[in-house]
Amino acid sequence: MWTIALLVFISIVLAAGAWLLFLWAVKSDQYDDVEGPKHRMMDDD
Amino acid sequence: MAACAHCLLPVRQEIAVRGSADEPGLRFCCAGCRNVHALLRREGLDGFYVRRTGWTPGPPDFGAGAIGSNGADPDAFAACVRKSGDAVEADMAISGIRCASCVWLIERYLGKRAGVRSVRVNYATHRATVRWDPAAADAGRIAGWIAELGYTPRPVEPGGTDDALRAEKRDLMVRFGTAAFLSSQVMMVTAGLYAGTFQGIEGPYRTFFNLLAVFLTTPIVFYSGFPFLKGAVAGIRNRTPGMDVLIALGSLSAYLYSVAMAVAGGDVYCDTVAMIVTLILLGRYLEAAARGRATASIAKLIGLAPGRARRLREESGAGGLAADTVPVAALRPGDAIEVVPGSRIPADGRVTAGSSEADQSMLTGESRPILKAPGSAVYAGTLNGSGRLVVAVTGTGRETALARIVQAVEEAQSRKAPIERVADAVVRRFVPSVVAVALLTFAAWIALGHPAATALLASVSVLVVACPCALGLAVPLAVHVGSASARSAGILVKGGDVLEAGATVTSVFLDKTGTLTEGRPRLTDAVGFGVTRTELLRIAASLEASSEHAFAAAVLREAPAGHRAEVADFRATPGMGVEGAIRGTRCLLGREDFLAARGVAIAPGQRAIGGAMSEAGKSVAWLARGNEVVGILASVDTLRPGAVDLVARLKENGYGVMMVTGDGKGVAARIAADAGIGRYRAHAAPADKAAAVRNARKAGARVLFVGDGVNDAPAMTEADVGVAMGRGTDVAIGSAGAVLTADDLLLVPRFLSLSRRTMRVIRQNLWWAFSYNAVAIPLAAAGRITPVVSAALMAASSLIVAGNALRLRERTPGEPGA
Repeated sequence: MWTIALLVFISIVLAAGAWLLFLWAVKSDQYDDVEGPKHRMMDDD
Repeated sequence: MAACAHCLLPVRQEIAVRGSADEPGLRFCCAGCRNVHALLRREGLDGFYVRRTGWTPGPPDFGAGAIGSNGADPDAFAACVRKSGDAVEADMAISGIRCASCVWLIERYLGKRAGVRSVRVNYATHRATVRWDPAAADAGRIAGWIAELGYTPRPVEPGGTDDALRAEKRDLMVRFGTAAFLSSQVMMVTAGLYAGTFQGIEGPYRTFFNLLAVFLTTPIVFYSGFPFLKGAVAGIRNRTPGMDVLIALGSLSAYLYSVAMAVAGGDVYCDTVAMIVTLILLGRYLEAAARGRATASIAKLIGLAPGRARRLREESGAGGLAADTVPVAALRPGDAIEVVPGSRIPADGRVTAGSSEADQSMLTGESRPILKAPGSAVYAGTLNGSGRLVVAVTGTGRETALARIVQAVEEAQSRKAPIERVADAVVRRFVPSVVAVALLTFAAWIALGHPAATALLASVSVLVVACPCALGLAVPLAVHVGSASARSAGILVKGGDVLEAGATVTSVFLDKTGTLTEGRPRLTDAVGFGVTRTELLRIAASLEASSEHAFAAAVLREAPAGHRAEVADFRATPGMGVEGAIRGTRCLLGREDFLAARGVAIAPGQRAIGGAMSEAGKSVAWLARGNEVVGILASVDTLRPGAVDLVARLKENGYGVMMVTGDGKGVAARIAADAGIGRYRAHAAPADKAAAVRNARKAGARVLFVGDGVNDAPAMTEADVGVAMGRGTDVAIGSAGAVLTADDLLLVPRFLSLSRRTMRVIRQNLWWAFSYNAVAIPLAAAGRITPVVSAALMAASSLIVAGNALRLRERTPGEPGA
């Protein structure tokens, strides 16, 4: 039982981490321009 | 044919602009392109030409000269400037961006200017966010720098519809993302429970998983699903139960039942709840994204308003007049304003001095320029021709003829009932029956002597199964894919309702000037009397070279390139003609009475030729050298390429076609005949066009109106679907449901066929969703559907409708579609 509970806990923590990362990405406008960055990375300087 | 070294537009060698002394080999389409090219070289940014890919040839957007060489007027951009630390920041929408290198160029060039702290251009929305030091620059200079590169910046005011849509999209995205993360967790837990259903599970494990699933589902229902709960409450309060009510009923009842079962130790429905909310949120998000994209693209088409006027005041002491540039809002009736050649007239008024011609086609639809002399009325928004006018203002702002038309359009828009979405109409009838079935189920199970828990499970199953998950995803997805296909073809569709209305259209009404025709004259005849055609055109071109009249442009386009004679004593009489001396001989080009006034008589034989041309709807100009008439030139507003094909294709597909125009009967009859249109209406004022549409609709037709001018806006609003040409006026674009961004009339049948296909997919999806319900609801009422089965059914059903919607994607661009 405790093994399962621990595993569930770990999986929820990992998912929460991914969720926070997602919130951060939305908040910092990273979904506003999904076209530009792929061109921008070709800039050599 | 060479290509312009800056914008890559093909340009004829003879009329190309040569590069400056250090790059004489280059050819440009215009001086603007040459200047931009020289600027980039000077700045060391000519890497732009090497790195750009995906650039579609097209001229830079110089914004019709709205921004002068000293930068734009900072007042115009004041509203978008905000403080940010020790610097200021502004958002500007930039038109003319064609490829990712444009973004690079603007960022690089602006970044090097004094005072600019940072620049970021969003490639998806074509918006720039610029931060600068207010002591070293102002918004007008920044806009001026962007304009130097051949792009037009426009202020983006905070809190506009753009921002509201962006906020809505972001809100839905966070809710959807959260639901998706939690759903994945719920699914994992549920997988354990499924395994338990098939091979047995110990009591404590089952309770643990049940409680966990409920715990994870709670935020999905109450945070992610909040928009549905809110919509459901509003729907019930307004007695118009829609989709939201069904979603809320299904998810809430399943959720509450799951909570009860988790405690009591039964099966939970959490996975179903999570899936309903997540998938429908995805549909809502796609819908908001499509709407946002269309709005942003349309905003790009709307240019800078003519916000300034040159007001005249008496110079103190000297008795002369001086002009101040003032905002249009500051004008009062009685003010005297100066209107320079080629500019837009900023207010309604009466001419007090000067003479010119005005292009009023955007207001009246009449393509011929109207002569303006002292005493004649001029209208805000119309285009001044080649003369300078002094105008006494009679009306500004909301009192202008332009504003009155706009007002009429707004009124018509508010009066017009929104198109009822097919899905909503169906769902509205569906909701009460679902609730009734659920109640009946409960009553029946109790009556048959089962315990209340079993009866409740059956009725909850009914509510959950009836939840239109497939619908919630399928209709937005069909609209999304349909509008995306339209967009890639060059049609901006403002919303799903426009596609739905487009599918029912039976008649197509076409505006003439600017829609069916180019809206500018083209030379059709050049008949010389005793001189060759070439010689005739050469004299005419020499004379017209200094004129800015539309007819002059037609002559210059047609005339062979090469030597043009020197013209001395050039004089233009607006509305009449031009004159000048070539090699000492006086030459006249103009109307018959212009020549007569100068003492040149036209022989009866010649007049007969000219008369025949006038009869055919052409405008005729006579050319005289000395006292002798040497030729006739005739021009007409010509059909746009594709106009004949458009009419043929529409007729082939069974649409009624009609042309309406503000022009006179002669011109209208000829254009209609050329285009192959049998029915037309001439002399139609804006209100007449709207009335024509209204009458057709009363007679049972569903009307699509294609137009481009302010004069078409009332008719476009009145019609079931209004389609505006992308080059049309702001008012037309604003009142249309769809906008053709590519300059191609054949996009109209393309739009119609795409509408029909989208509607067909929506119908198929509706049919599927309801037949699924027809089978599943009785099974659920009979207590035959377990949570596992219902989740599997729902997933399969959603996949089927989503897959069906994806069929709307265009496989090969340019294919007309079924």
